[in-house]
Amino acid sequence: MHEPCDFLVGLIANPASASDVRRIMTGAANMQTAERVSIVLRILAGLAACGVDRVLMMPDRMGLRTMLTRSLRREQHPPLPRVDYMHLVPASTVADTRSAARQMEQTGVRVIIVLGGDGTHRAVVKACGEVPISGVSTGTNNAFPELREPTIVGLAAGLYATGQMPASAALVANKAIDVLVRHRDGTEIRDLALVDAVVSADRHVGARALWKPESLHAVYATYASPEAVGLSSIGGLLLPVGRREPGGLAVHIATDPGAAQFSLNVPLAPGMMRCVPIAGWQRMIAGTPMTPQIDQGTIALDGEREIAFGPGERISFTLRESAFRTIDVASCMARAASLGLFRRTSTPTT
Amino acid sequence: MTSHPLALDPAAILQAYRTMRTIREFEERLHVEFAAGDMPGFVHLYAGEEASAVGIISHLTDADRIASTHRGHGHCIAKGVDVMAMMKEIYGRKGGSCQGKGGSMHIADIDKGMLGANGILGAGAPLACGAALAAKYQGKGAVAINFVGDGASNQGTFLESLNLAAVWNLPIVFVVENNGYAEATSRNYGVAVDSFVDRAAGFGLPGIAVDGTDFFAVHEAAGEVIRRAREGGGPSLMECRMVRFYGHFEGDAQGYRGPGELEDIRANRDCLKHFVAAVTTTGVLGAAALAAVDAEVAALIDRAVIEAKAAPHPVAADLLTDVYVSY
Repeated sequence: MHEPCDFLVGLIANPASASDVRRIMTGAANMQTAERVSIVLRILAGLAACGVDRVLMMPDRMGLRTMLTRSLRREQHPPLPRVDYMHLVPASTVADTRSAARQMEQTGVRVIIVLGGDGTHRAVVKACGEVPISGVSTGTNNAFPELREPTIVGLAAGLYATGQMPASAALVANKAIDVLVRHRDGTEIRDLALVDAVVSADRHVGARALWKPESLHAVYATYASPEAVGLSSIGGLLLPVGRREPGGLAVHIATDPGAAQFSLNVPLAPGMMRCVPIAGWQRMIAGTPMTPQIDQGTIALDGEREIAFGPGERISFTLRESAFRTIDVASCMARAASLGLFRRTSTPTT
Repeated sequence: MTSHPLALDPAAILQAYRTMRTIREFEERLHVEFAAGDMPGFVHLYAGEEASAVGIISHLTDADRIASTHRGHGHCIAKGVDVMAMMKEIYGRKGGSCQGKGGSMHIADIDKGMLGANGILGAGAPLACGAALAAKYQGKGAVAINFVGDGASNQGTFLESLNLAAVWNLPIVFVVENNGYAEATSRNYGVAVDSFVDRAAGFGLPGIAVDGTDFFAVHEAAGEVIRRAREGGGPSLMECRMVRFYGHFEGDAQGYRGPGELEDIRANRDCLKHFVAAVTTTGVLGAAALAAVDAEVAALIDRAVIEAKAAPHPVAADLLTDVYVSY
């Protein structure tokens, strides 16, 4: 248990999401710093409405913090929460996100709000322990964070953080895939994916993003929506699996065209439709490890190649139910409406 | 060279290593030799940044043109400019790339598509736009690359070039080599955007950022931006986030760096160390093959220094040659 802390809410805004190579091939959007600042301001407005008066934020090198500070210096009606920055010298890498999430957990925040794509959310989940997260999508593929108005995310997170909404109504459990790579010398790498772990034949992590169907070998997905864009869309358009239903989906990609049952035309990245040859698929059952049949390649986690492996190294992917918790924004807001939490006794003047 | 990493075969990877190692050895040797006081002018060393030049330029042919910066040795070597002639040029000797009359900041080799290092910050961008316009008219699929530092990317010439490239849909890639410092001014202090990708968006160009210390990341991303430019997809901007191992110029005391910063980047952000780890752990290349390249490169640079020191200086009459191009 943590001591009561000054900060109920932590905020991690990845200043660098949405800048990978997919912008070149697919026309995926860039998100400028000014827009990220606008999102943060709207989240703060939602939090303020719930009574949150201080927020602990991850610092970045310059742009986002500077622009946000400039905005917050202006008169705000009603006032926004005070933003304090944690002690962290930004390296401008994913290490900042991990270190911020870890510190926020140690500080005792009740919820961490995340601005970023699937990769950023994954980095936070890896480091935040039991603290629930609430995400706003600013990345490329965004199968994990839902598209929502940031004000509403701020409201829902604020209701939970201030205790107006109990965990039973505010939080929901999510699945994850545990990834284990056992090297020949007996050492191990353990990692996880929130949406999809994908094995590719690429021998290097390279530019990280994965968008070439010819290098794909297998997709392991915690859930697969037919409306998703990115690697999980392969599962989504084959055999959809709900975010909340038990079990996941493994899809085997045909590396030899003769082994394909058919090709599936999928949105592999925003604006990019590609045919993927499907060899087979099967449901993933929690706790049962699955091993791809490939000697060497890379493992992409939530869209980005992270781990290279070679011959003789053992790899497994295991689905885990209830791996971490997120704010269920829809449920929070519906409950808040039914409880009348936003009713006020007097009508404000114009 | 194709952009697909699966097609980056061991021979191509070894060649990339040879080029990166040549740049490193060239620059490390200049660092030593410059201190002896035999070289005229300034030198600005590219050591630490090799993955950017090699990852990008390995996609180009002699028909593609690049415009470089004051820190141009790495771009020159990657573009195939003769190392022996470069060393003579830096020593100000006859037989140099510009017959010893230009020095470090004016090394050029038009036949190799190297439009020149450039002592004027930001001046390469309009030159590259001109080369890209020529390539567009010629219609043979050639491209132009402009290398610019994070500091020089604040120059009007660079920003105007982004606009020009966008409105003319030129086959050009602007590569911002962000090593964190404009001379002694930290990027955090002197650049108003957090990511140079934001700057591209202001001109309607797609922009991407890559880890400029990772050859494979740079090579793969560069393959896509260059292919797009070749196929008429238009200009783009690529930011390579990287580090430099030496000062702005040789003799720079680097008082602007944080404590332990240099040791940290040498230990943890060395693109050659990353490269070696990546190719040996995946079994693409063995240590013996890399060591053979190291020995070969060391001998080449030794020879280049010996020949450069022995070469004659230009004489007064040489001032009147190579001034105008004959048509």
